Amino acid sequence: MRVQNERTVVDGLRLAVRAMVYAVLGGAALIAIATVVSVLGPMVAIDLYTPAVAAWWTVFTAVAVQGVPFLLLGTVVSAAIGAFVPERVFTKLLPRNQALAVPIAGAAGVVLPGCECASVPVASSLMRRGVAPAAALAFLLSAPAINPVVLVATSIAFPGQPKMVLGRLIASLATAVVMGWLWARFGREEWLRLPKRTQAAASSPTGVKAFVAGLQHDFLHAGGFLVLGAAAAATFNIAVPRSILDIFTGSSWLSLLLLAFLAVVLCVCSEADAFVAASLSGFSPAAKLAFMVVGPMVDLKLIALQAGTFGRAFAFRFSSTTWLVAVTSSTLVGWWLL
Amino acid sequence: MRRYGSAVLLLLVGGAVLRISLFSELYLRYVQAALRPYLIVSGALLILLGLAAAVRGMRHRQHEEHDDHEEEEGEEGEGDEHGHSHSHSHAHGGPRIAWLLTLPALALLLFPPPALGSYSASREEAQRAAQGVGSFSALPAGSPLDISVAQYSSRAIYDTGHSLKGRTLRMTGFVTHGSNGTWYVTRLLVTCCAADATISKVEIRGDEADGAPQTDSWVTVTGTWVPKGKLGTDGAWPPVLKAAQVKQVKEPADPYDKR
Repeated sequence: MRVQNERTVVDGLRLAVRAMVYAVLGGAALIAIATVVSVLGPMVAIDLYTPAVAAWWTVFTAVAVQGVPFLLLGTVVSAAIGAFVPERVFTKLLPRNQALAVPIAGAAGVVLPGCECASVPVASSLMRRGVAPAAALAFLLSAPAINPVVLVATSIAFPGQPKMVLGRLIASLATAVVMGWLWARFGREEWLRLPKRTQAAASSPTGVKAFVAGLQHDFLHAGGFLVLGAAAAATFNIAVPRSILDIFTGSSWLSLLLLAFLAVVLCVCSEADAFVAASLSGFSPAAKLAFMVVGPMVDLKLIALQAGTFGRAFAFRFSSTTWLVAVTSSTLVGWWLL
Repeated sequence: MRRYGSAVLLLLVGGAVLRISLFSELYLRYVQAALRPYLIVSGALLILLGLAAAVRGMRHRQHEEHDDHEEEEGEEGEGDEHGHSHSHSHAHGGPRIAWLLTLPALALLLFPPPALGSYSASREEAQRAAQGVGSFSALPAGSPLDISVAQYSSRAIYDTGHSLKGRTLRMTGFVTHGSNGTWYVTRLLVTCCAADATISKVEIRGDEADGAPQTDSWVTVTGTWVPKGKLGTDGAWPPVLKAAQVKQVKEPADPYDKR
């Protein structure tokens, strides 16, 4: 009993000392920061808050705000898969043969009505639930590109051109399936770093507790990378005026590559990119198609999200290959259909 | 902070989202109007998750004070991420990268960034509506008739039915200036979020247009259509409105045109 008491006293002392150190250090730091900010802040703020900076902040917060509901939807679905759907469901639904599973998973992308922020966490939880990475990756690429919301938006943006919608569907699905097959054939497990469950989730692998813990962790993790991507997107949005594009409209090859590059840096949400593509007057239909096929599959925001979820080694290899495949497939489909 | 990190972050982000969507109409500066219910639901859900994390943190704290397990707790989290330098995940503090979320969250809570204005308009080539020449559906009755800048613009340039002819029209937008004294009523159009803004503008002429208002101030202009150039060609652009009345107004709640 006495030992116990002494321990409590020592613990209490240790806690008190620690609290005091924190308070002193924190207080000093706060006072220092407050002084500097209150003196320099207004001066610097007025000089730095130019229209360009204001526009940067607006675009930055806009991309982040716009991503929050979709990211949350994605993490809810992914946490629900992790917590409530047993593994055998997927092994039963998907054929054993990867070459067959890939197109099925790609076509299943139709069911997730979100933009690209939602699909990364879902694909990652599918992999953790034992779905073959090739199939999960095909789903990751196709879901934001071919879901009904996006296709309807495309048909509104291109009135009287149903071929544009069809072209988008075919080219996106083809890219997703080809990427899945490429991964099945050439992909290496060690490129892919799957985050394991956090401690809290591991101790109770299923049920409501795991759902909440998974949701909190996934949202915060992906949210951080969303902010990173939003910052990159805003920077390009401000740094690259779209009027520069007119220089390149002359050559159809250059313009296709240029729009495919623009899709990467502008990070327009897949539900809105059709309207942006439609407004890029002077570009060939094939170039606009490339913009809409690349956009939902490869952009800065997505690369950041993938790097966070699957690791950097994966994100850069995967994104650059996807870009090439997407450009090729939209060139072929554009040449055939449009 | 490690114990309550997740809770703080979730509450901060949830609070920021609710502040711009539920407690004000600031969200219209960043995203389209239809996103509001989703923002409110997300904000509420994030607050709930934050509260759950706070409760768990408190329970764990009591737990730890009995067991003195604190040190081990931190290490367990680190192993999860295989040494990826940016995202050590702590069981309770949340992944480190998540602290980036404080940037937009605090910006929204403390100094909500303004809506895009003349700066962005000057950088983007004004877009001509994508459709070809054709006849448009009839305009509704009313004099003056309220019309969006984008709608006026596409009817002025592409409508073979000349639906604007003889009508008194009223439109609201912010002011931008061109070379040698011309000025425009300009409005940005946002489809999903401010990152995809496209611009439309109408040149204002007439006696009332003398003494152009300041750049970025908001005006409501009433006037009539001035035909110019051949339909569907560069000559028809930008469209012109002969102003009968120019009135300074406050920035509307929704600073962007709807599609």
